[in-house]
Amino acid sequence: MSLAARVRALVDHRRILWLLVRRDLKVRYASSALGYLWTVLDPFMMILIYWFVFSLIFHGRDVGEEPYILYLAFGQLAWQWFNGTVTDTTRALTSETRLVRSTRLPREIWVLKVVLSKGLEYLFSLPVIAIFMVANRTGLTWQTIFFPLGLVLQAVLLTGLGLLVASVTVLVRDLARVVRIVLRMAFYATPILYSVKSIDSPVIRQLYALNPLTGILDLYRASVFPAEMASVRVIGVSALVCVLVLLLGARIFARLESPVLKEL
Amino acid sequence: MTADAAPVIEAKELGIRFLRNRRQRLSLREMLFKGESTSPRGSFWALRDVTFQVRQGEAVGLVGANGQGKSTLLKLIAGVLLPDEGKVAVRGGVAPLIELTGGFVGDLTARDNIWLTAGLHGLTNEQIEERFDDIVAFAEIGDFLDTPFRHFSSGMQVRLGFSVITTLDEPVVLVDEVLAVGDKRFKEKCYTRMEELVGSGRTLFLVSHNERDLRRFCTRGLYLQGGVLKEDGPVEDALAAYEADQRKH
Repeated sequence: MSLAARVRALVDHRRILWLLVRRDLKVRYASSALGYLWTVLDPFMMILIYWFVFSLIFHGRDVGEEPYILYLAFGQLAWQWFNGTVTDTTRALTSETRLVRSTRLPREIWVLKVVLSKGLEYLFSLPVIAIFMVANRTGLTWQTIFFPLGLVLQAVLLTGLGLLVASVTVLVRDLARVVRIVLRMAFYATPILYSVKSIDSPVIRQLYALNPLTGILDLYRASVFPAEMASVRVIGVSALVCVLVLLLGARIFARLESPVLKEL
Repeated sequence: MTADAAPVIEAKELGIRFLRNRRQRLSLREMLFKGESTSPRGSFWALRDVTFQVRQGEAVGLVGANGQGKSTLLKLIAGVLLPDEGKVAVRGGVAPLIELTGGFVGDLTARDNIWLTAGLHGLTNEQIEERFDDIVAFAEIGDFLDTPFRHFSSGMQVRLGFSVITTLDEPVVLVDEVLAVGDKRFKEKCYTRMEELVGSGRTLFLVSHNERDLRRFCTRGLYLQGGVLKEDGPVEDALAAYEADQRKH
């Protein structure tokens, strides 16, 4: 099947994709007592921990923007979407084996539903940012209009990575562990706790543009920190990397589909 | 409907290959660049050169010993496995009675699960609304509609699965050994439902070891041995060929 035919099949099945996303959220919120509160509480606590360590213990280092806790909030929330999706896509196909084996749906749907349900959870967790904004008496700038662009880019990036990870992990199960380690490293290689501006070496600063999350985080943060608004070049590189990752992921997923189905 | 219309299921030189040992899996590089593993030593053909056509309204039984490729063929028709050689085309959708409880989520209630599974198989909300009471009545789970699915007994789970899948409108029904569902009374109910399906012009594809079931539902039989289609004719002939081979061993 060509790429275009695959995209068309997914568009035809969008209602079922939406059904699966709703099921995921329903299961997540129905099976715990605090439900939605966890979506807010979990990142809230993480942000407080980072703020405590980096602001109160390592104090004095100028690594992000002020108020630092708000700066952290943007990074941490977006990272949770990224981290949660990539982790879950390592078992996107294996955890739904019985459904994958009994329905004729386009197989990409199992990856997309993870990206979307985690993405919705990200949106649901945004009130955390609102809380810190109110606490610091900050408002939104006009650059908030770039926020949706960040969402689109991150969804594109995650779909690509998800397709890649989901198919390859079925054939090489050890990869799930490798992914976890790489994610931990990626957390520190991404400007979440710090700003690219705080890096002294101009060469390394340039290299950061290759990490697509750099541009995406800038787009999110610009809604409160206009100084963080990235140059068109950084955003362009980020968008390009996202699209390339998506094309690569889609291609590998299609290539591996037959052996993956035999293995499930 | 005309009997000599285009076939509903058309398999042409169908073949699929599996890997014999798990070590082979590591040649990911091969799979990436060639789309398959090239080493012939570690793989075997589960099915090869299978060609047949099924017309609308036919009831076909698949006969053969364990491990001869029956379920694999069914999965290829259902589109949940992809052939390495040849192709299989199905006109219209397929209602797979294969992994009956596959779509159900343990943490959700039976009510939610019915909506979910029926939706996954392509029914619209209006259609589900319309058929909801029938599904519940047939599965006999009226009092447990709001109980989480994981608290259901295994018999109830399968009953609900059978009930949902057989309400689908798909023109082709694939059945893999699920006629042994539930207790005797429910089994009889399932038989009646299956006969209704066949009677209403659906195409039935049945895998079973039970000769009585095969004779009851099927007019035509396919006999698979070692991944090769050895007999394609009236169900009695296929069963006879199967038995003759069994006696030889």
